[in-house]
This record gives sequence, C-alpha cells and structure tokens, in this order.
Amino acid sequence: MRINPRPAIIAAIIVCVAQIAAGQTKAPPALSANDQLVADAFEKRAKDYAKMREQLEEQMPKLSKEAKPEEIQAHKQQFQDRVRAARAGAKHGDVFTPEAATLIRAIIKDEFKGKDRVELRHTVLKESEIKAVPLRVNYPYPESQEVLEMAPTLLLRLPQLPKQLRYRFVGPNLLLLDRENGLIIDYMTNALP
Amino acid sequence: MKRVTASLILITVLSLTSVYAQNDSTRTNGNSRPSSPVTLTLPNKDNSVRFVVIGDTGTGTHQQLELAQVMLRYRQVFPFEFVLMMGDNMYGSEKVGDYKQKFENIYKPLLDQKVKFYAALGNHDDSNQRFYEFFNMEGQEYYHFKKGNVSFYALNSNYMDKKQIDWLNEKLATDTVEWKIAFFHHPPYSSGGAHGSDTKLREVVEPIFVKHGMDVVFTGHEHFYERIKPQQGIYYFISGSGGKLRRGDVKEGSPLTAKAYDRDMSFMLIEVNDKQMHFQVVSRNGETVDSGIITGARQKNGASAQ
Repeated sequence: MRINPRPAIIAAIIVCVAQIAAGQTKAPPALSANDQLVADAFEKRAKDYAKMREQLEEQMPKLSKEAKPEEIQAHKQQFQDRVRAARAGAKHGDVFTPEAATLIRAIIKDEFKGKDRVELRHTVLKESEIKAVPLRVNYPYPESQEVLEMAPTLLLRLPQLPKQLRYRFVGPNLLLLDRENGLIIDYMTNALP
Repeated sequence: MKRVTASLILITVLSLTSVYAQNDSTRTNGNSRPSSPVTLTLPNKDNSVRFVVIGDTGTGTHQQLELAQVMLRYRQVFPFEFVLMMGDNMYGSEKVGDYKQKFENIYKPLLDQKVKFYAALGNHDDSNQRFYEFFNMEGQEYYHFKKGNVSFYALNSNYMDKKQIDWLNEKLATDTVEWKIAFFHHPPYSSGGAHGSDTKLREVVEPIFVKHGMDVVFTGHEHFYERIKPQQGIYYFISGSGGKLRRGDVKEGSPLTAKAYDRDMSFMLIEVNDKQMHFQVVSRNGETVDSGIITGARQKNGASAQ
C-alpha cells in the first residue's frame, strides 16, 4: 500500500508556520526511552562534577565582578590546582561513557546533514586554530587557543550541562570543559559525522 | 505582528561624495587620505544615548591603537558615554600583561575619561573576562543593562544554550523600553567570504528577536564593516575591524549588503534620541564610510515608518 505523504508534509508545514508566527525556536526531536536513560545518567555525572567543583570553589576567596587581571589569573590557577588534586584519578571515559558517546555521536550526526555537515567539518578540521589542544583529562585547555562556537541547534539537542560546564569541538573530538578553571573534564573521540 | 516595519533614511553627506564616486556599488572602496578631519553627521544632542561599537579588537597592534586614537578625536566633538565590544577582546594569551597590552594601554585615554566598556565574548575570549573590571560584564557571560530609552542585551554567541535562550526570552518579554539592541560576536547575517552568515545561530535567535521586537543587532567576528539590509524588520550591523582587517572579504554583489567597508579598520558612532537611531562609521584614517538614521518603528503608539 502506498502511503500518501501529503498530510504529513502539510502538518509539518503548519507546525513550522505556527512556530515562526509564535516566535518560537524549533523544538528538538525527543529521545527514545532508552536514549533518555543514557542522557539522564550522563547529565547526573556532569552534575556530580559541578557539585564537587562548587564545593572546592566555595573554599576559595570569591572573585570580584570587577577584578583585576592579576586576581583573575590567580583565581583560575588556584581553582585549577584544587580541582586537579581532587580529581587526580580521573580518566578518559569517566563522564563520556561508551553509551553516552554513542548517543552523542548519533545526535551530532542527525543534527548536521548535507551542507551543514560539510561546513561543520570545514570549520572544526580546517579553519580553526585549535589542533594544538592536547587531549588529556584533568589538564587545562590552552588559554591561547580559540574556542569554537557550538551550534545552538545542537546544544538544544545534546544532554544538558550544568552552567559550569561546556561542550567544545577540538578537531574530530568533543571535549567537556569547565568554563571557569578551563580544565578538560573528559573528552570523546570521533564525534564528527 | 507587534513590529511595524522600520525604515532607514540614508543621509547624503556631501563630504563623502568624492569617496563614493569611485565606486557606485554598495561596497565603499575609497580610502587614501592620511587623516581626515573630524566630521560629524550625528545630531549630537545632550539628552541622547551616545556610544561606540567596536569588535575584534584585541591584538595590541599599532593599527588597533591608531583606530583608538581616531575614536578619541571623535570623542572631543561627540562625547560618547560608553563602548560596546563585539568580542575577540583578546587574541592569543590572556596573561596579566595581555590585558594591559591588548586593552588598557590602547584605550587608556578613554578609560581615563571614564568611558565605560561593555564586552561580549568572542571565540578567542576566555570566559573569565566576565570578571574583568573594565568589561563591566557583572560576572556574567550574557547580561542586560539600560541607558536612557535603550535596552542592551549582551549575548554569548559562542554558547547559546537553553539557559541563555530562556533568559533572553524571559528578559525581553517584560522589557517595555523603547529601543532594544542586542550585541554579540557571531553575525546571523554576513557577506563575508571567510565566515559568512551563522545560520545555526540565526535559526535560534531570530524568532526570539522578531517575537520581542528587537530593533538593532550589532555583531563582529568578520573583520570588516557591513550594514545588512533589514531582515524581518531588524537592522543587523557587523563591526569587526577594531583590531584586525580582512581586506576585500565582503562578497561582491551580496544580496544582503546595504553597505560594506573592508578596505581599512573602522568603528561605529551611535546616537539614539527618542525615536531615531543615528549611526556613523569612521575608518582608521578618520573618513566617514557610512552613515544614516534608523527610525524606530516598534513604538507603543504604533508610529508609522518614514
């Protein structure tokens, strides 16, 4: 039996038009029940890290919102030292478990298709200056290297991170970075489709 | 739809005739005079909101310094109160000396005159810049402030996640100020050959801007100046040649371009008074390379376009 695709297409157009009219950003597709469990577990590991580093930061002098460069640099260094000591045994795959990495690869692959995929690969692999970033857990992301913009449409689909953490592409790999102390919390390889 | 179509009235500046006469396209190519006199096309009224827009500044080079000196010259006749920075505030390392070399030393005369700088983060910026005393970011990667009848939204386009999107939506929903201006690093619309339009970012932010009546958007990232033809009633500007220049990078004949300048570095002077926003773009040798007026249309009384 041939299925008439027209009703589905019309429904999709109606939804798109309604979203545009309402000023809404397109909602990302929902995960399957199993994938949601994987995403939830990943988010919990990320939150556990954030909780641990918050406790460490609370023990440090608070950085002013009008800080001098010397204070910013000292705070960052001290923060790095404390977190590195607390996570001395951290290793690759602690947060990006194989299941989480598989899910994230699939999301990225689905998000970047056709021209978008070509552009992403061009940006991440050719254009950026970040190839020199060493892939080492619990080591700082070099501050002299640029941080590539993460596509907002992808961020809406990836497992959500606490405010202290960031996803970053480095070459074909995806890093999990602490936005304040700059440490590489974990990374996954072959993230690019 | 809440927004009424806005209108742009271009001012014809006689002093520019010789510059534009060299090329009748939308691209301005003329740029040979060593140092032009200060020529203001703005009304320069006391009760206006007056500011500067610069982007991609943080090189610490003598070219960045030269542009800053032109800004200083213009401030003598146009006393702007603050400067919006479009990101890439510091290229390369961000040690203590870099803050001095790539920012403080360059803009010291302006800082001494109590000019405030409000920064957005670019792809070369460490998140910790948000704590820096002279960037006035309140410790936030994205933030909001008001000046007169203008509401400013500094966004972090490096990382436009759900938290930031929710914050922007909530903040805009209750904002009744006459002018709404957003500034951030990556341009949703651009005619640049090296980067071009950031369509993924546009897909997410444009519906929010349209819904809540954003009037003007300033960005950087591209190392040139470009005024984009209004998109869904919103005026987009790229001012990303405050410290670097990508000469000749604007695509010839781009349908997006209302005016572009990629022959030298530049900054924007802005004046908002009541229902009009005036702009003037000045190059490193002091020439005015674009100017005009945007008539705010998103007025509560439904003012018509001019």
